[in-house]
Amino acid sequence: MADRRRINGPVGATTPPIFDKPAKPAVAKTRDSIRKIFLKTGITPSASGSAYLELENPNPKRTGNTSLKLMHRSQRGKDAVTCETRAKGILAYTLETALRGAIIADRWPKSGVDIIVTVVEGDQDRDSPESQKDDEGWDMMNVLSGCITVASAAIADAGIDCVDTVAGGVAALVCKDNKTAPTIVMDPVVAEHGNILAACCVAYLPTRDEITNMWFKGQLPGADMIVYDKLMEKSLVACRCANRVIIQELNETVKKGQGIS
Amino acid sequence: MATSKSMTLSSTTFAKLSPHPYLLANLQPADPSTTPTRTNGRQPSQTRTPYINTSSLSHAHGSAVVRNGDTTVICGVRGETILTSAIPNYRAPSPSDDSSSSLDEARDYDLLVPNIELATGCAPNFLPGVPPTTLAQTLSTRVYSLLHSSKLVDVSRLRIYPEEAGKENKEEDDEKMDEAEEIDEYAVAEDKAVKAYWVLYIDVLFISFDGNPFDTAWTAILAALRDTKLPFAYWDADREMVLCKPVFTAKEKQKKGSGSYWILVDPDRLEEGLCDETVTVVVDKLGRSTKILGISKHGGTVVGPELTKKMVATAESRWEQIHAAIE
Repeated sequence: MADRRRINGPVGATTPPIFDKPAKPAVAKTRDSIRKIFLKTGITPSASGSAYLELENPNPKRTGNTSLKLMHRSQRGKDAVTCETRAKGILAYTLETALRGAIIADRWPKSGVDIIVTVVEGDQDRDSPESQKDDEGWDMMNVLSGCITVASAAIADAGIDCVDTVAGGVAALVCKDNKTAPTIVMDPVVAEHGNILAACCVAYLPTRDEITNMWFKGQLPGADMIVYDKLMEKSLVACRCANRVIIQELNETVKKGQGIS
Repeated sequence: MATSKSMTLSSTTFAKLSPHPYLLANLQPADPSTTPTRTNGRQPSQTRTPYINTSSLSHAHGSAVVRNGDTTVICGVRGETILTSAIPNYRAPSPSDDSSSSLDEARDYDLLVPNIELATGCAPNFLPGVPPTTLAQTLSTRVYSLLHSSKLVDVSRLRIYPEEAGKENKEEDDEKMDEAEEIDEYAVAEDKAVKAYWVLYIDVLFISFDGNPFDTAWTAILAALRDTKLPFAYWDADREMVLCKPVFTAKEKQKKGSGSYWILVDPDRLEEGLCDETVTVVVDKLGRSTKILGISKHGGTVVGPELTKKMVATAESRWEQIHAAIE
């Protein structure tokens, strides 16, 4: 993805704005569910299927959102590649495995699907220096779960046979500081939490109760398998929440289609 | 002609098999009582209604989403700062030479960085994951030159001064700033050297592509720039860095036209360097009537439709001259 621009700007280094008084760190709100999701299918009429996903930002001060968009193009009669994603390394690979489990590839032999996900905006706010030091890439977890959800919606919109709609969900083990006990949160907003110990992103088929992909990262305090299980469980709850949104949007699309014809 | 045959085909099949006759058949219906319509149901001169939504991105300083039919474009503007010491061949602008001088800060220091991306799967013919296509590059370049030649962004608003000057400016940097205040700002800035500049990164993403890309992209850039709010920035001498305070608006420049202009046909090198606006008309008079092969106009805001016609007339007489010379 290095070669994307032709007008490169000034030769000298430019820096994002640095504020004299740093903005107040965002306060983590206690939620027992995921952030609100806006999902819309069929936004690109020229593609076979497409979907757009946007996450609500619970913090009114930063009216942020994670916007993900997916274009999806199906090609019939090409190589026997089931699914080809062109995105940043690990994200593309994980997304591919997550979706591969859901698509019934046997029905369309010798055909390929191009799945293109464009991340319009991530959770990171570059205006606040405290969120710029997210070197560990916790944000990527959220991006991936959004990618999975939106890709699944677009595949369904394209009418490609799937066993189920895949949904992505994230849960993380966070602690405010070193003294307090760590808690598990669903759909963590990286900027809100002081310290993230571990996070887990799961791609899940809710009706079949199957996991197509799991990405776990971080360190769990002690060899505590219960925490690990809880983290997984919470991720699955997040997946189920996201899946409800997909189902609702697809139902609406079907209804709209019936209304016209 | 093809309409009678196509009666047995469905219109969508006809459109796919031979798109060009299909369009022509729609534009010239066999039955003269029906009004000619385009294949998309529009009248020949009917446009799609644009739909514009601004401030849709939270982390950008300005953003806009423009939807024109099935063409959807998202544009984000981000400001970053660059120190004048990091600019090669930097020359301090004097406050007096605002628009007339040869120094064009925005162009010389590359303060505006527009890029258009088509590789988002917005249409089947643009493959993702490849370097920018010819169309994407052409669009970016056209937008780049238009941004500079139209002088849309007021460069003085991109300058960053040391703190003292900044303090005085701060009160004036309100959302609505009239001309008089703008002059005050120059007076304050006179003895203060510019320490840094804002660089505006303008990124345009095509979400969906259904024709007319330049128009939609430019609309998105206009809407996003109008929406852009940069933090108030000043140079902190102690920390030797640029710091920001809460927000002001970067306003589009309303350029004062002096009113008088001269048209110089066939300019020489000296004139060319001084002219704000150039019009090049290519005509062919060999046939019975004049054919216009190309009109390109760059920069400035003086030449309108009337003047363009005059230019064409000038080009016609010039053609005669050159034709005679060749013969």
